[in-house]
Amino acid sequence: MSSKITVAGVRSHVKSLVEASESKKRNFLETVELQVGLKNYDPQRDKRFSGSIKLPQVPRPNMTICVFGDALDVDRAKSVGVDAMSVDDLKKLNKNKKLIKKLAKKYNAFIASEVLIKQIPRLLGPGLSKAGKFPTPVSHNDDLGSKITEVKSTIKFQLKKVLCLAVAVGHVEMEEDQLVSQIMMSSNFLVSLLKKNWQNVGSLVIKSTMGPPFRIY
Amino acid sequence: MAKRKRAAILPTNIALLQNLVRRDPTSYREEFELQFRHYESLRDIFMENPSNYDGEEFAELIGFVSQVCSCYEAETANFPQELADILNNHHRDLKEELREKIVQSLTMLRNKDVITSEFLIQTLFPILVSTNSKPLRSQIYSNLIQLVKSANTGTKNQKLNRAIQALLFNLLSDPESNGLWATKITRELWRRGIWDDSRSVEIMSQAAVHPNIKVAVSAARFFLGADKERDAHQEEDDEDEDLDLAGAKHRLEINKKNAKQKKKLQQAYKQLRKRNGPKGPATYLNFSAIHLLRDPQGFAETLYSQHLSRGGNKHSLEQKILFMNLISRLVGVHKLTVLGIYSFFLKYLTPKQRDVTQIMAASAQAAHDLVPPDAIQPVVRKIADEFVSDGVAGEVAAAGINTIREILTRAPLAIQETLLQDIIEYKTSKAKPVMMAAKSLLALYRDVAPEMLKRRDRGKTAAMEMARGEKGAAAQFGTDLGVKGIPGIELLDAWKEEQANLVDEDGNIIEQTEEDGWDIESADENDSDDEGWVKVDSDKEYDISDSEDETKGNADDTPLAEGDKQALSAEEAFLKIAATRVLTPADFAKLEELKQKAGIEKILGKTKASLTHEEEVDIKTLTGPLKFKQLREERIAHQAEGREGREKFGSRKGKRDDADHSTTNREKARKKNFMMMIHKRDVQGKSKMSLKDKQRSLKAHLEKQRKKGF
Repeated sequence: MSSKITVAGVRSHVKSLVEASESKKRNFLETVELQVGLKNYDPQRDKRFSGSIKLPQVPRPNMTICVFGDALDVDRAKSVGVDAMSVDDLKKLNKNKKLIKKLAKKYNAFIASEVLIKQIPRLLGPGLSKAGKFPTPVSHNDDLGSKITEVKSTIKFQLKKVLCLAVAVGHVEMEEDQLVSQIMMSSNFLVSLLKKNWQNVGSLVIKSTMGPPFRIY
Repeated sequence: MAKRKRAAILPTNIALLQNLVRRDPTSYREEFELQFRHYESLRDIFMENPSNYDGEEFAELIGFVSQVCSCYEAETANFPQELADILNNHHRDLKEELREKIVQSLTMLRNKDVITSEFLIQTLFPILVSTNSKPLRSQIYSNLIQLVKSANTGTKNQKLNRAIQALLFNLLSDPESNGLWATKITRELWRRGIWDDSRSVEIMSQAAVHPNIKVAVSAARFFLGADKERDAHQEEDDEDEDLDLAGAKHRLEINKKNAKQKKKLQQAYKQLRKRNGPKGPATYLNFSAIHLLRDPQGFAETLYSQHLSRGGNKHSLEQKILFMNLISRLVGVHKLTVLGIYSFFLKYLTPKQRDVTQIMAASAQAAHDLVPPDAIQPVVRKIADEFVSDGVAGEVAAAGINTIREILTRAPLAIQETLLQDIIEYKTSKAKPVMMAAKSLLALYRDVAPEMLKRRDRGKTAAMEMARGEKGAAAQFGTDLGVKGIPGIELLDAWKEEQANLVDEDGNIIEQTEEDGWDIESADENDSDDEGWVKVDSDKEYDISDSEDETKGNADDTPLAEGDKQALSAEEAFLKIAATRVLTPADFAKLEELKQKAGIEKILGKTKASLTHEEEVDIKTLTGPLKFKQLREERIAHQAEGREGREKFGSRKGKRDDADHSTTNREKARKKNFMMMIHKRDVQGKSKMSLKDKQRSLKAHLEKQRKKGF
């Protein structure tokens, strides 16, 4: 176990991670994940944390996104090549729990027009926020394409019922430098969220979807 | 008395026999068998007519057999089952002493590992929920708790826990049965920290929707208060366990040195080692019950529909408030969507309502940023209409404004601009609590949405930030209010830049800081982790890492012009620093220091709406400190306090206290020679005055009175 994290160490681990995935090619793009174990952390007394950062690269390019929009935004979404639904489509779901659950499962993230987003809880009920996929608002002034990349490249750290968490930080086809910087950024950010910073971190592990784990801290 | 042979007394003296049997089971087999046969015959007699049987001898024999049955396993194979049967079938008719004895014996058998814990629970649990006898219930209850506690010391006995939890689930799923025991047992085990998993929370969530209101109320109380109970219990334990190592050593020196004292000292050492050991105390998952719920949304919806919207009419106000409180906590913590509850609150939010502060606290807890504004705005408006006006007492208005503030901290969009500005006008109120409340609301909005305030209310910092464009884009519904990026990182970057410039002169500095960075950490760490940190630090080869090279590289690469330029924006700095190097503990310490210097901390302080939605609303923060009329003694004490260190007020006439002053006229008059005074009217008095003098003085007096206006 290394008790100190260095950029060089991370770099070498990233190298072996990429090698491992190249030695056995999979039929899909493997994601690189950062797994965190916390220690000395009392979820009740210490404030629970949550935070999100935007990474420079999109960690999961194949993320599916759906836009809930008014007429204009539906058109814009179609031109960008993203699935879109209008108010009428949403009303057709008729608050049917199963259909909404299916919708939430089908996409990784949602974006909604500014005018529409206030109605989302009434239209769709709790289904989306239950899945942790409450839409991100977009106004007519924003560029939809850049908004989509922003949503895609934002990662969220949130503590659930256990003292460990995992986030996708990249994929195996990224360049080594990029991957290293993504990992450094997300781990630095996570550590800044914690009350006692490094003293709260038990372990940091990077792992590709099907590959072996590498402990970097 | 003549000394009798042992064998002669054996058949009657069971206690002695018990002692002998345990010492040497094989040679006393015959005696045991005799007693066992006796037990069997008594049992048969008892079975004939259980209700009016005086079982003193029987009880004694049961105690004896259970004490020694581990020595004769073959003979007594059926014994536990027989006891269980007697207890199960006849617990209503049994004499109290006999019943107590049987329960005791069963527990003893469990402790001797003759029967399994499961068997004991299967036997005792049905009796616990069905019996009418209070002493029996409390005996069984404490036995059960003790059993689970001892089974879970060290590692958790999941099998046993599962078995008991299954029993409790069954108890709750049957609406006729006495479900209160399920909540009672779970609550006690939770309080002691023996059960802390989501299955026990699940039991409680099932109990909370139980048709019997008592069960439901006790479950709701569990969710609202159990974690505090658990904390309090743990703190008590910590105090109890204070190790007295020095004391034990001292005692060993002074007192007789015997094995017991030595053992005590060793145990104390062992405990100390355990506590400070390499792993420390096992990581204890201290999630609160509300966080461990499996389906909070479904739970909150069922609670709402069962206890408030439809079924609420049956409940008393206290019960309803309890459920309002619970549901609002759930909604707040998990950001649920239970839109009905906001309109439900409207009915109760009037100043005349009993316990209105609790309802106000609940309505504030139920707010979070994912509630659609049109659902929660009516609540804010209603509070403003009912509580905040010139016609009401100061405390009422203050409570109203404070509640509104609490709601708005959680959901900043829940108010319209005009209403907000109206409420903020109260900042000039004469009543102090109202003024304070309005000012705190103002401070909140200067932070979260200054553009909603009137121009003159925005204040300098907020106005400047708006001008710079850092704030002022009206927050949209649905945007994540959580932390983004590392606050203040640009300051750290600027500081590093300065440091890098220093490095040009002396290359060692950075290396120094890097090493220090991790050293600070090791100094903070407790001993256990220390060795790990230090060892690596002393390893020189290890220290030469990429990050240093890169920071040096960066310092060289950056042209001087950029160094002179204003500090980078937060996002750029984050990209630059966080992506290329590891932030050491020293960096974080520096960051903290820099942030405090720059005053960022103040703004990012408690008002930030990131995770407030998970917190409970304390009623005291809404109402402010309550003032009751004082008793007479208190008033007097208060007055006396104010008088401390000052003299009495009043005339100073005749109270010249210091010695160094001239004689007063009064003193002179007193000391004057009497012969000089004897002819004076003052001395002679009225009686010796001549008539003429009397008339004159009367006239003068009348004149004086007239002038005074009498």
